[in-house]
Amino acid sequence: MSETTRLNAWRLGIIFGALLIVEASVRAGWISTFFLAAPTRAVIVLWQQLVHGNALVLTGITLFEIAACLAIATVFGVLAGFFLWRYKLIGTSYETLLAALFSSPIILAYPIFLVTFGRTSAAVIALSSIFGLIPIIITTKGAFQNVNPILLQVGASMNLNRKQMFRHILIPAVAPTIFSGFRLALTYVLKSVLGLEYVAQVGGVGMWLSDAAFKFEVEEVYAGLFGTIILSILFLYLINRGESWFRK
Amino acid sequence: MELARPHSPGVADKLQTPLGVQALTLLGLVVVWEFIGRAELIFPELFPSITAILQSLWTYVTTPVMMPHLKASLYEVGGAIAIAALAGVPLGILWGSKRSWLDIVEPLILYAAVVPKIVIFPVFILFLGIDVHSKLAVGAIAAFFPISLLTIAGMREVKKVYIDVARTIGATPVQIAKSIYLPAIAGQVFTGIRIGLGAAVTGALLAETKIAKAGLGFMIVEYYGQFRIADMYALLLFIFILASLANWAMKSLFGFLSPMSRKGGDAGMYF
Repeated sequence: MSETTRLNAWRLGIIFGALLIVEASVRAGWISTFFLAAPTRAVIVLWQQLVHGNALVLTGITLFEIAACLAIATVFGVLAGFFLWRYKLIGTSYETLLAALFSSPIILAYPIFLVTFGRTSAAVIALSSIFGLIPIIITTKGAFQNVNPILLQVGASMNLNRKQMFRHILIPAVAPTIFSGFRLALTYVLKSVLGLEYVAQVGGVGMWLSDAAFKFEVEEVYAGLFGTIILSILFLYLINRGESWFRK
Repeated sequence: MELARPHSPGVADKLQTPLGVQALTLLGLVVVWEFIGRAELIFPELFPSITAILQSLWTYVTTPVMMPHLKASLYEVGGAIAIAALAGVPLGILWGSKRSWLDIVEPLILYAAVVPKIVIFPVFILFLGIDVHSKLAVGAIAAFFPISLLTIAGMREVKKVYIDVARTIGATPVQIAKSIYLPAIAGQVFTGIRIGLGAAVTGALLAETKIAKAGLGFMIVEYYGQFRIADMYALLLFIFILASLANWAMKSLFGFLSPMSRKGGDAGMYF
């Protein structure tokens, strides 16, 4: 058995062991079904919602919101990051402001976005884009700033013009770092979109969870929670795979 | 012959520094906002003037109207950070102390860290009700991940050779913990707690905006419902100032407590 298989077996053992304990506790009546649904029931409800309910549509809405946020964050973030690198004084000044803004609890300002955009997906997209935008701006600026000067000297010695220098030297040099920023942005956008959907009760999967909690449908709450966790984990897994593929 | 006097920087020179640009930007934003607010150029309900917001903030600071809500939020955030530190630091040390455990557990924690913690709130409501304790639980689980992950990062910095050397010269387990592990992990643990505080504030207050009986987040949503936008902005401003002050105080305190420890970078954005 390879080391990776052994580790994965242990991890799965921990997860399924914990679920088994919960299942046994609920079935034995040690924990009331008023508080906790048996994992098997939650999975069945999730499956029913996927096949007969509108869970797929809601997942589609969430994925659309995430994609829209990432598109906005990537386009504006890369442009702004490049601009901040080109103009050093502004770059140094604004980087601190952006970092301060990012570490403040801006998500609490979501009612402002609800007032501006209405209780729609647009509000979720507008606020969540900020969470993607800032990491991309900062990593793009850092990526351009940290390009090895030897590469630029080599380009100059080969008489490359500005356009060629940008295309053949700068872009390949900055792409991996920008991708790291993109990965970070994706993680934040995912958290923000799902969180806002739940809190503001708009959009996709988060709204479903909120509705279920509002109706005190315990099994549906846990099914929604499972769905959200699976979606988050799947996203992170795909990003990790994408990053390792990109770095090859 | 006239001696060359040392050149003292003028206003224009001072403005051409990062601090000058930041000050100018913030000043510009305030002026533009105030102008828009007074002239009622764009969405007058959405952009009350800065003076109206500051007046509202002054009312909150000088009258006891906010006190029960502030107390509820401070209780939640304080309790959350205490629980998260009490659970996160020992578990981080335990997981980080053995390579084989870390290999198994670390990916699980990293994957769990990505899940937005606010979605677990309905489960806490089922178990703990809609009082302060369910928000405290959300804050605690949000703060747990940065604290435990940074403690693990600190443990990883302890090289095996240090422990071997200490054992060779006859150091006891307590001496090893005090002289090797503690200095190595202190900086990371402190950074973890500081970042955890931010996560706890966001988690607990966001949960308050969903369902609560008291708290600053509860007040924000109440004012949003009553369309008292200037009051809402004033509260948000108050929360941002409070969070920044707490962050600064923790940074200073930890710098004082552990001046020699290796500091983790300002990883706020990474959590």
